[in-house]
Amino acid sequence: MEVLIGAGVLAATLRLATPIAFAALGGVITERSGVTNIALEGCMLVGAFFGIFVADKSGSLAIAIGAAVLAGMLLAALHALASITWRADQIVSGMALNILALGLTSYLNYDQYGTTGTPADLPGVPTLTLPGVSALPFVGDVIGKQNSLVWVMFILVVVLQLFLFRTVPGLRLRAVGEHPRAADTVGIDVRRTRYWAVLASGALAALGGVYLSMAVSGSFTDNMTNGRGFIGLAALIFGRWTPVGALVASLIFGYGDALSVSLQGASIGDLRFPVQLLSVIPYVLTILAVAGCVGRSRAPAADGLPYEKEGH
Amino acid sequence: MRQPSSQWAQGPAVPIISVLVALVLGAIFVLVSGHNPISAYGALLLGAFGSPYDITETLVIAIPLTLSALSVSVAFRTGLFNIGAQGQLLVGALAAGWFGAQFAGLPGVVLLPLTILAGILGGAAYGAIAGWLKAARGVNEVITTIMQNYTVIYVMHWLLQDGPMSAPNALGTPASAPIGDGAVLPIIVPDSIVHLSRLHAGLLLAILAVFVFWFLLWRTSLGYELRAVGLGARAAAQAGIDPKRRMVLVMAIAGGFAGLAGMIQVSGLFHRVYDGFSSGFGFDAIAVALLGKNSPIGITLAALLFAAFQRGGTLMQSNAQISSHLVENIEAIVLFVIAAETLVRALTRRRGTPAEAL
Repeated sequence: MEVLIGAGVLAATLRLATPIAFAALGGVITERSGVTNIALEGCMLVGAFFGIFVADKSGSLAIAIGAAVLAGMLLAALHALASITWRADQIVSGMALNILALGLTSYLNYDQYGTTGTPADLPGVPTLTLPGVSALPFVGDVIGKQNSLVWVMFILVVVLQLFLFRTVPGLRLRAVGEHPRAADTVGIDVRRTRYWAVLASGALAALGGVYLSMAVSGSFTDNMTNGRGFIGLAALIFGRWTPVGALVASLIFGYGDALSVSLQGASIGDLRFPVQLLSVIPYVLTILAVAGCVGRSRAPAADGLPYEKEGH
Repeated sequence: MRQPSSQWAQGPAVPIISVLVALVLGAIFVLVSGHNPISAYGALLLGAFGSPYDITETLVIAIPLTLSALSVSVAFRTGLFNIGAQGQLLVGALAAGWFGAQFAGLPGVVLLPLTILAGILGGAAYGAIAGWLKAARGVNEVITTIMQNYTVIYVMHWLLQDGPMSAPNALGTPASAPIGDGAVLPIIVPDSIVHLSRLHAGLLLAILAVFVFWFLLWRTSLGYELRAVGLGARAAAQAGIDPKRRMVLVMAIAGGFAGLAGMIQVSGLFHRVYDGFSSGFGFDAIAVALLGKNSPIGITLAALLFAAFQRGGTLMQSNAQISSHLVENIEAIVLFVIAAETLVRALTRRRGTPAEAL
């Protein structure tokens, strides 16, 4: 039982779900506005690199996080420019930016740090020890000593859920993603809304990258996001394009990851437990969800479609 | 009335401009990071074409790139976006690797064609899933194929690390059992001409595949129907073509091309399936397909260019100490400029482009 629902596994679930959730939250915002952004992976990666890089150059945690978020937003800005202003194919643009992020960060990593790796003694995002709670049995082991970014993630889920479904700007954002023409008719600036949404997605994904490099590992390695941006994409789809849903999906996927670590070397009878197959869960569940086999996930109506004002 | 300038804008303008823009931005990038762009590109060119051996190595990379790009293109021509060439390639490799090892004792005349078939069918079956989900349940093929790419990576880890396909080998990396000698694609360059060349008969299969791609799309009624669906599913439906059935078929064909690429990597280079052997040909293929404007000649040229980048990049790093990842940046910019094709169109002063003729 310990390997299935022990405090260690649950704490690991939170750790592993956090970067996925950051990417998924970014994805929710941009897709709700009608722009598909598969460059979430790339935004995470530049966030991860520039966090470490600027932490090394400046020695300041705050400046490093700021730079990382800015880098994610810059990459996202390119996507916004291509997909909103130039009405380019959003998938192709996203693919291009993912490759660019990988090439750029790997190039700079080699150029700056060669083969020795990034410095060891960089400022990292601190762990938050909850007074009182951390001493509790079980609960303390699960949530008592998590990284502060884990809590930032939880707060953002609540804030974004309220923003999207309980505020006027949130309603406008969703209107732009569902029916841009109608939104335009009532005076909402479709382009501007979409630009902000895409930029926000870059910032959120970059925070996921910061979490990986500056909270978990304290270093940057080439392609360290390793597809987590795409799992984030899966999480937002499985979570039906809502922040809370995306969080739940991220936790499920994170739990699968945690299990694949805790079940390493376990066996059923004579057979080794196929831990690698646990990693398949997010992708298969997502396909089943969009196919309507597990509930029904429906994308915003205008998701991925460029908007052109009439008479232009 | 077609004017020469419009042919230029319709044809090679966007690809050529995108490559030039990428090379210029790449040079600026190299300069800013404190290196000499001329020596960088010199080393790149030398690495790709500097010796007969380098040329054969460039061709070795161009083979899977071309086939994966055909996979992406045949789907594009039918209006589908196949991001899954990478996954289909891996399934093809696994199927071919399994078959080639399982029936290793068969003579080559039987084993090689059947191994080729296994690779093609493996990729085709995997591709058809995405086509079927699109046709039957309206699932966006972009989502399905992205998820499929990751699914196969982990299934492959399992199969080769401690699943039914794993077999011990001298290198100690997770891999399958070696395929039979009859399933190996022979080296086609004599050792007396290029010493230790790895260029194998997969090159001939790739050339054949380019021909099949052209023949299928432009010389068969099925190809006509596929392109009709690509230009407008609704109009095609009114002309009596069932777009849904074509979706399953075309994704199977797309998967078949990618599966063949995977089979060739196994039969031509590694002679067994190594865990994680493929360096993302299926993703580069999207750039190659778009750069080649989904045409047989364009794809072939674009695949050669990208293969040269990759081969040259490796040698640039060892000879000029400039990270081979420069190449990814150039590829990304090429792709990005193509994505923003409307911008290039505007630059070449073309407005109101007519629909492409069947």
